[in-house]
Amino acid sequence: MKNILTLSQYTFREAMARKIFLTFFAVSSFVLILFVILFVSVSIEEMASMISVNGNEAFDFISKIVEVMKIAIIAPLFVGGLFLSIFSASSFIPNMLEKGSIDLLLSKPVSRAQIILGKFFGGFAIVLLNIAYLVVGLWLLIGVKFNVWDTSILLSIVMISFTFAVLYSLIILVGILTRSSILAMMLTYIIFFILSPVLLLRDKISILIDNVVVEYLLDGLYYIIPKTAELSNININIAQGLGIDEYQPIISSFLFMILTLALSITIFNKKDY
Amino acid sequence: MNSIEVNNLTKVYDSRFKKNAVTALKDFNLNVESGSIFGLLGPNGAGKTTLIKILLGITFPTKGSASILGEDISNYNVRKKIGYLPENHKFPNYLTGPEVLTYFSKLSGYENPNLNIRIDEMLALVKMDQWKKMKIKKYSKGMMQRLGLAQAMINDPELIFLDEPTDGVDPIGRKEIRDILVDVKNQGKTIFLNSHLLSEVELITDRVAILNKGIMLREGDVKELTISKELFKITIKGEPDEDNIKSALQDFLISKLEKNIVYVKLDSSDEIDKVIDSLRKNNFSILSVENQKNTLEDMFISLINETEKKI
Ligand SMILES: Nc1ncnc2c1ncn2[C@@H]1O[C@H](COP(=O)(O)OP(=O)(O)OP(=O)(O)O)[C@@H](O)[C@H]1O
Ligand SMILES: [Mg+2]
Repeated sequence: MKNILTLSQYTFREAMARKIFLTFFAVSSFVLILFVILFVSVSIEEMASMISVNGNEAFDFISKIVEVMKIAIIAPLFVGGLFLSIFSASSFIPNMLEKGSIDLLLSKPVSRAQIILGKFFGGFAIVLLNIAYLVVGLWLLIGVKFNVWDTSILLSIVMISFTFAVLYSLIILVGILTRSSILAMMLTYIIFFILSPVLLLRDKISILIDNVVVEYLLDGLYYIIPKTAELSNININIAQGLGIDEYQPIISSFLFMILTLALSITIFNKKDY
Repeated sequence: MNSIEVNNLTKVYDSRFKKNAVTALKDFNLNVESGSIFGLLGPNGAGKTTLIKILLGITFPTKGSASILGEDISNYNVRKKIGYLPENHKFPNYLTGPEVLTYFSKLSGYENPNLNIRIDEMLALVKMDQWKKMKIKKYSKGMMQRLGLAQAMINDPELIFLDEPTDGVDPIGRKEIRDILVDVKNQGKTIFLNSHLLSEVELITDRVAILNKGIMLREGDVKELTISKELFKITIKGEPDEDNIKSALQDFLISKLEKNIVYVKLDSSDEIDKVIDSLRKNNFSILSVENQKNTLEDMFISLINETEKKI
């Protein structure tokens, strides 16, 4: 446990030392500043007059505009936050596996499973911190501006970080297998931007193609590959306080993560360095 | 007691194509006594680094077994009492020297309430105390090596593995490192050294093993190995005929003959009297007789050449 903690801590430091995480913070801060400027320069009354409603409905209107804003923020946040996180985390494992570093690490009284878990939790912690910074910042801004203190948006932190953890397990596996950060990054982006959204529409595709084999193939892929597109939808729903109507994508993605980590550890345990 | 025991260790690095598989170690056996400095010598690609990597769980053996400090190598906890300086090591380059030492002492599970004092001592020992604030990425090669040595000793290990410890270090630094190693040995620790610098190894090691292509060629005391066959340089007065010298010394092994200088190899130094008698009997007059001790390097080169011919 102590070893995992030490390794996480130094993964965290490594991330902080690399400019990429500064960029992450800078982008987050920039988004927050944009909102500050927007909120300071535009008054609630002005916003109301833009959509022409009268005073009686002002309260209703505010909660509505906050809703719209949340959706407008949360969906890009999910995509943007994960895009940056994947980018920054993809080099952790290949860096660690460099000749001269890995020798030293493996010569210490740490098990290989502890090394993988240390990298996993360290990377997770830094992404969690980044996302939390941005989401809590937005929540505070909205609260101060509209006096709406709705905590459901904060659940986004959990969902985005969870989605990252799932994808990060794949980054780790590809890193162990190929030592290539580019490959790990590409594969994750392909799942995130292409495969998962496409597989979500597999019923429609099946109708178009009308082939049993393709249908089974798509179904199979759908259940194997992390369901980031659905997680994004769930994220939007819970941020609006709508709750979760289907748990299957969360559970199957979670299983994917556990299995991928277990596989990474098994492979790492057998490798010569 | 032995700090390292290796039994019939074989390592084959598999390749996607069978014919490219490399046998880095073959039926290797070795015992290293506690409290000694042991040197493993061999040309590039002999399998020296592979042996250390197997002992430390970095690479896995294909066959055979080994133990360090009485524990099987698969038990990673034993590495708490181990120090290691890998060849071409890399440290997290965003850290400073003291931060590197803190990191690796934590990973080694080293508990010391006065860790900072220990770190200062170690940095002073390897003469790195004036660069405490510098980040690793700005280090020179020799500085890296010095910090690497400090790192290998930070957890007060019982057994230290050093892979080319003086690589890139200036001559004064090399002498300093040798002194440190002797000092560490005098504290009862065991040091396992890989090196090409035979003249250096000769100065500090108690025992050496010579390895080529994964096979152990010889193992023994440095003194025994270098003096076992003694070499004498005899200078003869005048310009003697080489063939006459050869016939005079036909019962002895002449290793080199150059004009009036002849080198003879003897099984024991007692035989030198007979050599001189034979020369005198044949009316050669002798200017000087010098005992030429083989250096480790001579021995190494002739041994490797001999085996290369056989293969
Ligand atoms: N990871 C690896 N995969 C495949 N072959 C390897 C690997 N590591 C080493 N080898 C091969 O094993 C042999 C022994 O290598 P090793 O590094 O142990 O030699 P060495 O004695 O330390 O050499 P040097 O003096 O150059 O450091 C070499 O033929 C090398 O090519
Ligand atoms: Mg080597």
